[in-house]
Amino acid sequence: MPAASHKYLTLFVAEAAEHLAALQSELVRLEQEPPTAPLWDSIFRRMHSVKGSAGTLGFGRIVDIAHAAENLIARLKAKKDKLERAEVDLLFAATDALVKEIVKLDKKEDDEETITLVDELAKAAQALPDPGAAALRTPSPPQPPPVADASLPRLDVAVFLSKTCAAPGARALIVQRKLKAMGTLLEMEPLPAQLMQQKGGARISALLATLTATDEVRAAISALPEVDEVDVRMAPAARPPDERRSPPTPPPAPIVSPAQAKVRPQLTPPAVEPDELRPESTVRVRAEALDQLLDQAAEVMHGIARLREAAKRLPESAAARMEGDIDRLRRTARELHGRVMSARLTPFSSLTERLPRAVRDLAHRLGKQIELDVQGTDVELDRAVIEALGDPLSHLVRNAADHGLEDPDTRLRAGKAARGKLTVSARRERDKVIVEVQDDGRGMDAAALRRKAVKSAALIAEQAEALSDDAAYELAFLPGVSTRDDATDVSGRGVGLDAVQRKVESLGGKASIRSVAGKGTTFVLELPLSVSMANLLLVQVGAELYGIPLHRVLLTTEYDLSARGGEGFEARSLVVMGQLVRAYGLAKMFGLPSLAPPGPRPFVVMEVDGIRFAVAVDRLVGQEEAVLKPLFPPLDRVRGLAGATVLGNGRPLLVLDPRGLAELSGIHNPVKPAPATKGAA
Amino acid sequence: MPKRVLIVDDALFMRNTLRDIFSSAGFTVAGEADDGVQAVNLFRELKPDLVTMDIVMPYKSGIDATREIVQFDPNAVVVMCSALGQESLVMEAIEAGATDFIVKPFRGEDVLAVVKKVLGD
Repeated sequence: MPAASHKYLTLFVAEAAEHLAALQSELVRLEQEPPTAPLWDSIFRRMHSVKGSAGTLGFGRIVDIAHAAENLIARLKAKKDKLERAEVDLLFAATDALVKEIVKLDKKEDDEETITLVDELAKAAQALPDPGAAALRTPSPPQPPPVADASLPRLDVAVFLSKTCAAPGARALIVQRKLKAMGTLLEMEPLPAQLMQQKGGARISALLATLTATDEVRAAISALPEVDEVDVRMAPAARPPDERRSPPTPPPAPIVSPAQAKVRPQLTPPAVEPDELRPESTVRVRAEALDQLLDQAAEVMHGIARLREAAKRLPESAAARMEGDIDRLRRTARELHGRVMSARLTPFSSLTERLPRAVRDLAHRLGKQIELDVQGTDVELDRAVIEALGDPLSHLVRNAADHGLEDPDTRLRAGKAARGKLTVSARRERDKVIVEVQDDGRGMDAAALRRKAVKSAALIAEQAEALSDDAAYELAFLPGVSTRDDATDVSGRGVGLDAVQRKVESLGGKASIRSVAGKGTTFVLELPLSVSMANLLLVQVGAELYGIPLHRVLLTTEYDLSARGGEGFEARSLVVMGQLVRAYGLAKMFGLPSLAPPGPRPFVVMEVDGIRFAVAVDRLVGQEEAVLKPLFPPLDRVRGLAGATVLGNGRPLLVLDPRGLAELSGIHNPVKPAPATKGAA
Repeated sequence: MPKRVLIVDDALFMRNTLRDIFSSAGFTVAGEADDGVQAVNLFRELKPDLVTMDIVMPYKSGIDATREIVQFDPNAVVVMCSALGQESLVMEAIEAGATDFIVKPFRGEDVLAVVKKVLGD
């Protein structure tokens, strides 16, 4: 069947991609620890599975690579001594090549790279002994020659196997078994083991002592698959000398084939209770289907919210009953939403699977020794969070490998082990998931960070000096502040730690840094378990509606600033609860036209890290419970936006990020205020 | 009565492909298992007329599963689904009691030809 149109092509790609991702990690483990049989089996099984499915689809190149790699894996497993770096590199190359093939399955022609790689894999495999062949060469223990009652008729049986027979050895074994079931098999030539790895079309001749009629024997053997022709006739009376020599009556001894005699490696470790290991049965669902389901669940909730509004306009007697019904409906809808959310939970391992390979490559490139420890791979997060976390996490890992960990010489001089330790962990804490990237490297230099922050004009010298060391570490999240002067090709000049923080906060999370000079640095990401339901205050500016997370809103108020200097104000102050609060125009901040006539205007007073500020809008529209979704590029780069949601009427709504607004206004420095300055804010 | 098949393979892709082959030929797919442990349990529960058994699977190989199935029911019809280059494993499976085998990559008609022969149709 034409592969490109195969109805399960997508499924094949998904399964193969999963296997290949896991292979990457397992290959890294091969290098790091003495490989165990289960590890080898798993590696073999993944390669084998990709090969099997690809073969059915007719993807010849994938089969070629996987087959060659599988052969090498089988020989490497049998080889007891240490693995060569080059051998593992080849397996990595094979995995990479398979990933590449699977990404662009439609390419038709053979490319030279594949051919070269397959050759290299084959060459490496040839350099190693073939465990299968070795077993075959091992002579089986001498068996007593099979004997049969001399009075039984002898049948000469000739069996022609089909030319298309893919495994003549196995086919011959079935023929042998069938013959043995009908009598005593005195001779068989060639033996099944001798036909192994031969191409089809073999002829087998056998001598059978039996009471079964020739026709019956012929029919039984002809009924086997891949048997083209069977010839059965009575054997001439004169028998080979060895049969005459054999004693007349001992019970017939079965022929033991070499396949039976040799000991084969176990495919699976028998020690563990298999039932405990088996994951519960699951159904694979397209990710988009879950997204749609989530959107629809959200829509139902919005619809219910609208019903509720409508019910308020009903006469009181009708309204009460209606509201009761709506409440029940709302509870059900919430539960439905919750279930969809939990179906979207994805294990942390989907993010960390690629890390071992990435860290291995980084270590080689940087000339460092790095031991990666990944913990909490089964902790689950919403798929949206997992997807958004990919870049920040790999950034933090690169950063730790490049800037955090020292080279082996420096480490040894500092009295540390030459091999640096990098720990990536996830753990659940109530409704949060804490992800940490920890290194045992040089730690951050608070003084240097202070200097850089002043140099980059993010802080004035006095502010910088007032920061505690802990607060100074957070300066690394400022754009343009790096902990090292030399930019490297691995992680650049501290580029992106600000992006990491932005991304985490856009998910409703928090990023922070702990560091001890000489001991190491830990980046802590506090993440919501799922993209959450947010209670939003809907405001209008110009023609657009925006949402503001209510948990940041202190109060709303009305104020007439035009009386004190007209429209177009940059910033003014309001008195809120006896305190002066800076006020900004949302329209001004985003460069939007404001449609509000001069006069009193609504203000939303928000609080971020103890700092209060007010934002003027054109109109307060109402409140709505909404499913917050992270923004995708390029919107995710707009400061001041936290996410998006879709209103009940299908209209998209941008949700504002109060922290980003505070930073935009300049009132809030993205550095946590040191304890000393906090009270003043 | 249509023959009932238990399909065992750790790749969903292969299970779906086999299911289509059997369904279109009038078989009933009685169950599917994605590892050897599940295969043995489902065999005991469903007592199918035929099992197609992958060899290389997690937790319990197709060979061990076949051995247990044949111990449970000596008349069980188990057809191994092996890949090219797995001949020695297929032979081991036959020693363990497998009825026959097919070699991947296969076409629907290859599978059905073997299956019909081993079921004596």
